[in-house]
This record gives sequence, C-alpha cells and structure tokens, in this order.
Amino acid sequence: MEARSIFPSQRSEGKQLSAMNSSVGRSSSLSVLPTPAEKKYPKLPDCQQVSMEKELWANRVGQHRASIATNNGAIGHMFSTSSGFTSELHYSSSLQHQMHANSAPFFSQASNNVTSVAQALPSQSVLFQTTSPSNFTRENNDATWSDDSLFFDFSDGGGCHSQIQNSTGMASQDQSRQSDFQEWADQIMADDTLVATGWNDLLVEPDPEIKGPKLPSDFTVSQPQINQQVPALSGDSNHVASPSVTNGTQNKPRMRWTPELHECFVEAVNRLGGSEKATPKGVLKLMKVEGLTIYHVKSHLQKYRTARYRPEASEGGSDTKTSLEEISSLDLKTGIEITEALRLQMEVQKRLHEQLEIQRNLQLRIEEQGRYLQMMFEKQCKTSEKLKMPSLLDDASGASPSDITQSSKENDLGKPLAMNETDIIPEKTEDRNQQFDQKQRIVEVESSNPDQVTNVGSELPPAKRLKSSLS
Amino acid sequence: MKFGKRLKRQIEETLPEWRDKFVSYKDLKKRVRLICTTLEEEANSNGPASSGCASTRVSEEEEEFIFLLNAEIEKFNAFFMEQEEEFVIRQKELQERIQNVTATLGPNGRRMSESEYKEEMGKLRKEMVNFHGEMVLLENYSSLNYTGIAKILKKYDKRTGGLLRLPFIQKVLQQPFFTTDLLSNLIKECESTMQTVFPTEMQERTEKTVDIAAIEDSIFRNTLAALVTMREMRRGSSTYSHFSLPPLNLAEPPDQSDTFTLLSPIPIQ
Repeated sequence: MEARSIFPSQRSEGKQLSAMNSSVGRSSSLSVLPTPAEKKYPKLPDCQQVSMEKELWANRVGQHRASIATNNGAIGHMFSTSSGFTSELHYSSSLQHQMHANSAPFFSQASNNVTSVAQALPSQSVLFQTTSPSNFTRENNDATWSDDSLFFDFSDGGGCHSQIQNSTGMASQDQSRQSDFQEWADQIMADDTLVATGWNDLLVEPDPEIKGPKLPSDFTVSQPQINQQVPALSGDSNHVASPSVTNGTQNKPRMRWTPELHECFVEAVNRLGGSEKATPKGVLKLMKVEGLTIYHVKSHLQKYRTARYRPEASEGGSDTKTSLEEISSLDLKTGIEITEALRLQMEVQKRLHEQLEIQRNLQLRIEEQGRYLQMMFEKQCKTSEKLKMPSLLDDASGASPSDITQSSKENDLGKPLAMNETDIIPEKTEDRNQQFDQKQRIVEVESSNPDQVTNVGSELPPAKRLKSSLS
Repeated sequence: MKFGKRLKRQIEETLPEWRDKFVSYKDLKKRVRLICTTLEEEANSNGPASSGCASTRVSEEEEEFIFLLNAEIEKFNAFFMEQEEEFVIRQKELQERIQNVTATLGPNGRRMSESEYKEEMGKLRKEMVNFHGEMVLLENYSSLNYTGIAKILKKYDKRTGGLLRLPFIQKVLQQPFFTTDLLSNLIKECESTMQTVFPTEMQERTEKTVDIAAIEDSIFRNTLAALVTMREMRRGSSTYSHFSLPPLNLAEPPDQSDTFTLLSPIPIQ
C-alpha cells in the first residue's frame, strides 16, 4: 500500500517532522499517546510503524499529555489547538488504515492515528507544505475541524468540507487517497467517538483541565453523559464511550455543541433549503461529522427551529410591540429610560459574571494546591518509611493537643518534611508529630500556615494573600 | 446548614424550569448522616469482631453514595449542556439579526424606516441583555452546584473519616458542567457585541430615573439574588479552612443591591 512504502523514507524524515511540528504548533501533545498505547495494546502488530512511532515520540515533549491521552476520540479537536495536528490527523487516518488491516483494537487505532501521524506527515509533506500555516491556524480556529476533522469525503462538496478543502488545498492533491481516507475515517469513527467540541476548551486551557475528563473508572454512570468523551487511555479505558455511538442502543450521549459545530450545522441546513425543509438525516449526511448521531441532529434541529420561529413571529407580530409599549410609551424619553434600565441590568450581570469567574479560578487553584500537597504527603510518607527513623516518632509525645484541630496533612510529615525542606515551618513540626495515628483523618489538605502555602504552592500568591489577610 | 438555606432561596428565585436541576443538597446531607449512623451502630453492636464486615459495609455505603453523586453530576451535565446548546443557537441568531438591523434592513429585505429601526434595536438590546443574563445565570448554576457537591463531600469525609473528597473533586472539576469555558466565551462575545448595539452617546451614566424598586424582570432579579447569595456565602464560616474561598470583594457598596426589592418570580416570556 502506498502508505507503507512511505515509512522507510519517513524514518529519516522523523526529525524533520519534529522540527516542522514544533514550528507549527503544539504537536508535542501527541507524545503522550505512545506510552499508553504501548501499555494497553501490546498486541499491536509489530510493524515498522510501531517502532518508528516510538522513535519519533521520544523526541517530542508532551504538553497536553492527558488531554491527548484521554481524547483519542478527540482527534478532531486537537486540530483546533495545533495546526500541525490537522494535517497530521489526516495522515494518521491513512496510516491507521494500514494498521487497521491488522485488526488492532480500536483504541490502538486511534492512538496510532496520532502516533503514526508523524510518520505520515513527512511523506505527505507536499500536501502539508502547500498550505501555509496560516491556513491551518485559520482552520483550527474555525473549529469545524473538531467535528469533521479529517474524515471527510473529500469529493463531497458539503459546506463544512469545502472550507477545509480549499484552505488545506488537499482536495486537489488527495484524489488518490480519498477513498482510503474515507474508509479509514469510517472505520475509525465507527468505533471512535468524536469528543464534543467542548474539548477545545480543555485543550486550550492549561492545567488542571489539561488532565482531561478522566472519567473515573468506578463511575460508570457519568460515562454516557460525558459527550462521548473517550476516557483516558492511561486508565479507565474500560469505559469506552464509543460503543454508544456505534450501536446507538445505549442512552444517547450528549453532544457538546460549540459555535463552530453549530455553524456547520447551519450551513448544512441552509443548503437543504432552510430549517423547515431540512431533515435530520439530510443534515447529518451533509455535515459529515463523525460521532454525530441522528438523535443529536434531530434535537438540535428542533431547538433551532424554535429559536428561529420565535423571533420571526415577533417581528411579524405585535406581541413584542405591545410589551415594549407597556414598559414605555414610544416617547423618546422613556426610550432612554429603558436603555438605562438595560444598562443597569447589564452592569449587574457583568459583575456577577466577573465574580463567578474569579471564584471558579480560585476553586480550581485551591483544589490543585490540595492535590499537590497530597502528592507531597504521599511522597513524604514513602520517604519516611524508607528512612525508618523511629527517633522521630519518639518526639511525638510532647505535642500539644490543641493542634489536632488543625488536622493538617503535613502532620505526618512534620519531622521528615522539616529535615528535607528546612525552610518550611520548622516550628510546627513538633506539633504535628502526634498526628501519626490520625493519618486517616488528615487527608484534607488544610495547611494551617500560610507560609506553607507560599513554599509549597508557589503558584498561588493571590490566594495566599487573601488567606493570610483573613487568618 | 446555612448553605442549604441559601441554596434553597436561590432556587426559589431562579427560573422555574431550573428549579429541579440544582443539587439536592438536603437529601445528600441526610444521606451522609444516615451513613454515619449505620456505621456507628454496626461498630457498637457487634464489637471488634465486626470490623471485617464493617469495612465491607463501608465500601458498600461508599459505593452507593458515589452512585448518588454521579447521578447528580449526570443531572448537572445534561442540563448544562442542553442550555449551552440553546445558547449557541441563540447567539448565532442574535448575531444574524444584529447584522440585519445594523444594515438597516428589515426582515423582508427592504430598508427600514427610522421608527422601525429604533424598534428593532430596542428589541435587540433587550434580548441581548436577557441573553447575557441567562448565560451568567447558567454559570452561577454551575458554580452553585459545584459548591454543593464540594460541601457534601467534605461532610462525608468528616463523618466517615473517608478519603473520598480529594480524588472525587478532581473528577468533578473536569465535568462538562464545570468546564464553563465555552460559556465564558459566549458571554464575552455577547459583551463585545453589546458595544455595537448600545448607542455610544449614552455611555455616560445619566440620572437613574428608572424605578429601581420594582424590578420585574426575572433574569435581573435572579442575577441580583445570585450576587447576594454569593456574597453571603463567602462572608466566612465556622469551618473556614484553606479550602474555603476568601470573602467576596464587590467594589460597589452593597447598598445598591439591597435597594432592589425582589418580587415573586415571573417566568420569562
């Protein structure tokens, strides 16, 4: 097959690829996949591709580790973050197809998609280079990628596709691979679940959301709800949301509609002659978004129709007129009053929005700090076990009981912590030692001393300032 | 306890169709209490020999509890995403309408007269403000539910000595209902388009001749209620810890919002 023959040449172009990718975008996020892929799917065909993937992967720095790991279904969304991805994914699908012939498990296909992208890219660098990075960026921001991504029928003149075709310039050059892509796309997407475009947010946002929706393996209930988000490859892979897409018999997972996806939808609807004439099936076909089921389209179309109908009715009818008149006469003065009232309302709303954002950020950081401290705690526990310092425990008896209420996680690592990190509250160590027997209760990371926060969670200065002002 | 009451009040103020979508704080709290009592009873009645079955009981209880929490989260996610979807649709529609109106074209394509233009703009403004308000309220919904879940988890850990909170909250943080970036973007876009819709000559604050005392618009009322609730919640509590949020620092004096009398909920047309 064509793709296979490419590989030998790709090997040498691996570095070139890396360079290209680094210049293009955040291709580094791809680096995560190989590891889970390797772990999870040892039965992958031991072909050239796999070994080459490993080589290439070693060169990459993982930025969006978890997000990529979790989103093997979110391949489409990765485009939105990195222009390099878009073309990569295109090619990955082609490579994927090769691998698919070996009947590798679905996940591995998806993961190999990304991994093999690197290999595919150089070979098809012609296509890649023909399109300027700016195009890709534009495409990525367009976010139609996220849904349709590569798995287009290139020959199709669908609205969404045409954009991508033109901008990527692949249509003309990809004739030979069209059928291949299609097949692979179908195969991939038949199993894979396109993560809803909500992933854009997750991918763009750095920690902690980078971790992606690592759906807890225990929490099966939440699985179908999470927009077909594929769970992290590294874990929880037992909850593959993909089956829900293929057989459709499970409870319909929700699709997270983004503006871009919606635009694609609107285009498709307009092509079919408007919201009244368009049928869900037709729209679904035209959109060609993998992972989108007819249920999604149906419900969305219904909402769309309702939204359109109301304003149209109000424009023609006099309902809004009368309500406006009730609030104010057609007098200009009252018109100003209305505007003022609206402005006032707007101010309040803006304030609430601001505060909510701030609050949310704080919450995120608090939790992150908690996690960090928990990590440290566990590390210290292990260290202290290894060190086996019974002398430290002897000093525990003298501590005052009043400190129990602090229930700090650092209680247990008071002494070891002090020894390893001398700048952290040395005066608190003897207070903490008595908490050894209360380990279980001290999971809550409630560091009683703001100084700890400074030293340990250095990324939270504002939070610390606020806290210290209150303590 | 206080949070429960505040939550209840907020729910009452909120839009009717949202009422049952909030976190069932009271029920979950009861549940937590029940769990503890069963554990204690077990320990007391059977003595040390029951430690084996008690631990299994604990894990059972915990699983059930986790199941409940997941159900709640599912509820949030479903509602949130549905609302999000509708907002996406509405935003597009509003944008189209604004384009039409600013081009001074009526729905039929003909040029609009002066009064028609004014009328359309008026309608648009009102709709945009309401749209913005609803989005912010959805954000508030997300925040409130998150707080509720966090509190419940904290109670659970406190009562049972379990270690559920930290890992669970990490998962919650990544749920769709809490990842409100899309919503934030929509709101920002809305705010920026506002600039075009609102006449520039009115930028300076004129005398507030509006009758503030009788705000009947339910979105506005809900927003105010949300702000008030938020401020109260962050005033400081008895169980203040480093997981708590600092007090809310609203620049404007609270008097202004207090002057707004909150009438009974009126459904949005």
